[in-house]
Amino acid sequence: MDYAERYREIIPEFDRFQEIQSCPLAATARINELKIDRSRLLERLRVGGISFEQLGWYSHGIRLSSEKPGKLLDYMLGFIHIQEEVSMVPPLILGPLPGERVLDLCASPGGKTTQISQMMKNQGLVVANEPSLSRISALRSNCERLGALNVVITRYDGRQFPEIDVDRVLVDAPCSSEGRARRDPGIWSRCSPKRSQDLAALQTGLLKRAVKLAKPGGVIVYSTCTYAPEENELVVQSVLDSARLEQVALPGLKECPGLTEWQGRILSDELKLCARYYPHQNDTGGFFVARLIKE
Amino acid sequence: MVDPSDIFELWRARFGLPDGVFSGYRFFRRAQSIWVLRDEKLPRISYETLGLRMMSLKDRPWKPTTCALQVFGKYATRNTVHLDSVQASRFLAGESQHLPCDCEPGYVVVFYSGEVLGCGLYSHGKLISQLPKERRMASCEDGDGDT
Ligand SMILES: C[S@@+](CC[C@H](N)C(=O)[O-])C[C@H]1O[C@@H](n2cnc3c(N)ncnc32)[C@H](O)[C@@H]1O
Repeated sequence: MDYAERYREIIPEFDRFQEIQSCPLAATARINELKIDRSRLLERLRVGGISFEQLGWYSHGIRLSSEKPGKLLDYMLGFIHIQEEVSMVPPLILGPLPGERVLDLCASPGGKTTQISQMMKNQGLVVANEPSLSRISALRSNCERLGALNVVITRYDGRQFPEIDVDRVLVDAPCSSEGRARRDPGIWSRCSPKRSQDLAALQTGLLKRAVKLAKPGGVIVYSTCTYAPEENELVVQSVLDSARLEQVALPGLKECPGLTEWQGRILSDELKLCARYYPHQNDTGGFFVARLIKE
Repeated sequence: MVDPSDIFELWRARFGLPDGVFSGYRFFRRAQSIWVLRDEKLPRISYETLGLRMMSLKDRPWKPTTCALQVFGKYATRNTVHLDSVQASRFLAGESQHLPCDCEPGYVVVFYSGEVLGCGLYSHGKLISQLPKERRMASCEDGDGDT
């Protein structure tokens, strides 16, 4: 936890941020409209006596009081997917449309892949890429349980993903996962500047490839579940010669602007258009999201 | 690629699916399985999977997957079984049970309270759950909670 001290200057109400690290997160789920209408699912939960609350900012998100929502019949039937609340943000910022071709460069276990598939109403094509064979099985099983019929799975190193035409690319990059600490407090002890530097090299490679693959005017969303500026703003800054940023914001969810300065280094002013989601501001996990338009 | 009308004919013959249920999809055969995918132009790269694995041709008769029945099984008009809640729990736990019904022997679409639970095998008056292990809901096993 001491490692978080490096963020004292950048995270507002830092003491509250520290406090909430030890509060467990409520289970949240996304209603899967690939298989069931939202209203019918809500009715099923009510009739089944399963207590839930709808998320204020996203019509398809619910908070469940169940300890093990993965054991609900609705989960087995693929009517809901267990997904952390702020992890539902990046697909909404990507904004895929039915009939488009979308690349999800770092896809497993597929929470965002299937949300994209749902936003596309099972039409068009989602190319879900995941290099790790063992993680592909979770991705596949989620796509099948949720009834995604417009998803193909590829297995490339995202930095070398072959040249294809795509309308939108999501880079939900591997990261130091500090934003998951409320689920797994051990995370802080695995973090170090060195680890973030190493990840940043990979993340930069992935984002550069994504920008290369998008068509001119195409949308690229870069997201992580970490606070480390090395893995966020500094990565995004590296592609600002070939893409421009757009504002990330969702009504009902509080975000902080991206950093324009870190450890004495002045960064591009444009980076304030990125969004930082902090756990104590919405009672969620932590996330970073940037939306880029290829020039 | 596989001729969609061949696939449709198999499903129509066994489950009485109405015309048009498979329109807008294409089918691929890989090894002994058929996969279903939205009919879209595919970039020429290499793939691990294409859409959803819908049936296995490994044995006779061909076998539908639970995930495909959860999508297309709701249109079935033949060889369907409707369970009550006790029977459904047994089925979900992966068990077999005696069940009088008027299905033909072979694979059936198993329903509970209007929803398709998945694939069962009906044989000698018994319904044998075909739910894959990771989809079963044994009473006190861990659910998974990926993000
Ligand atoms: C944060 S997770 C993705 C979570 C996923 N988007 C979701 O919402 O369920 C990052 C993923 O990137 C994968 N990954 C690691 N190295 C990669 C690379 N070189 N190219 C593409 N993906 C990679 C990891 O295996 C991991 O599954």
